[in-house]
Amino acid sequence: MNETIYLLYILSFILGSLLGLVLSYRKYKAPYAIGKLDVVAVVLAVIGWVLALNSALITFIPEYITITIGVFLLAMVLGMRPGYGRNETFIGIIIAGIIWIVRMVIL
Amino acid sequence: MANILLNVLIAFLVGSVLFGLQRKIMARIQMRPGPPVIQHLLHTLKFFIKESSFPKTAAMPFYIAITAMLCVIWVSAVIVGPVTEGSLLLIFAIYAIHKIVEHNAGSSSGSPYGKLSCVRAVFSASAEVPLFAVLIIIYFKTGTMVISNIINFQATNGPLIYSIPLAAAMFFVLILSKAPYSPFAITKGKDIISGYETEHFGLLRGYLMMSESIAWYMLLWVFLTVFIGGLSPLWYLVGMVCLSVIVAFINATTPILSPNHSIMMQVSFAIVGIVGSLVLLLY
Repeated sequence: MNETIYLLYILSFILGSLLGLVLSYRKYKAPYAIGKLDVVAVVLAVIGWVLALNSALITFIPEYITITIGVFLLAMVLGMRPGYGRNETFIGIIIAGIIWIVRMVIL
Repeated sequence: MANILLNVLIAFLVGSVLFGLQRKIMARIQMRPGPPVIQHLLHTLKFFIKESSFPKTAAMPFYIAITAMLCVIWVSAVIVGPVTEGSLLLIFAIYAIHKIVEHNAGSSSGSPYGKLSCVRAVFSASAEVPLFAVLIIIYFKTGTMVISNIINFQATNGPLIYSIPLAAAMFFVLILSKAPYSPFAITKGKDIISGYETEHFGLLRGYLMMSESIAWYMLLWVFLTVFIGGLSPLWYLVGMVCLSVIVAFINATTPILSPNHSIMMQVSFAIVGIVGSLVLLLY
């Protein structure tokens, strides 16, 4: 069971990356995004990383489903075409990390 | 059976993503954007839908059988490793066969690049196989070759990486030699195009790449299991990512060595590692 869930997360990551790659090639034409932030990507990254790292906060859904959705969303941003998605991912990690630290200290 | 399929699928997917991560990190170090992390996986899958063609100079049916053999041996490694936690000697045998497959894949294609790679495979085997002397050191330390017993030994005595660090370093050099673009990757140096894979197209290339991804996962799995102990899937993943990142740093900053230098350096590591570990075991 443990390994099946592990496989689920990996598949979620790969499918998310694939979707992110395809959509980002459709959305962006320039090879680099210098100094620009994509709001949609930021939202996806924040939700994804928060769900993946802080799944314990959401009690009404089984943990593995929350993490699978989170991994899918964070992979969509992480897997965007080269030159995109990096800053958005960092913002997602920082916000999710802060929530994780606050949760560990308070709870 | 389901457990075997599950573990093989995990090994293939994780191995492919780790190869992609390695290329991405190397690219970033070299100030390039680099390919997406799943590029290696997509590249592998692409070959399964490409047309397969066979060189006129290929030694049939050996040329085809050798790709299946590479796949079979690394699937066997998954069965011996994560599925049954069997003997390390079998992993050693699988690695030795891997070197033979590299050699024969190159020679059976009839390509001059493949043949050169085939010679280098023999060359590198003479340096990589001594690195597997870590097995003897592990046996001296733990009194067993069975992976499950080694895990139990570490549960009571602490990770082996602390007690036999030189053996761990030797095994790491072995892992490094199997990484693409590594200083020791002489069988696939870009001076000989893609080495033994140069004349394998379509489906056959797909099988080769798939096997290499499983091989990468398995080598990292063996390292983590034997030197750190039985871990949860998440910690295995963290460990594999860390090792791949270290390998990427080394690969990005080190040029590929000439075959002679590569062998000499690996043999030097082996001598220092074996002698040093034996001295550490005695005192």
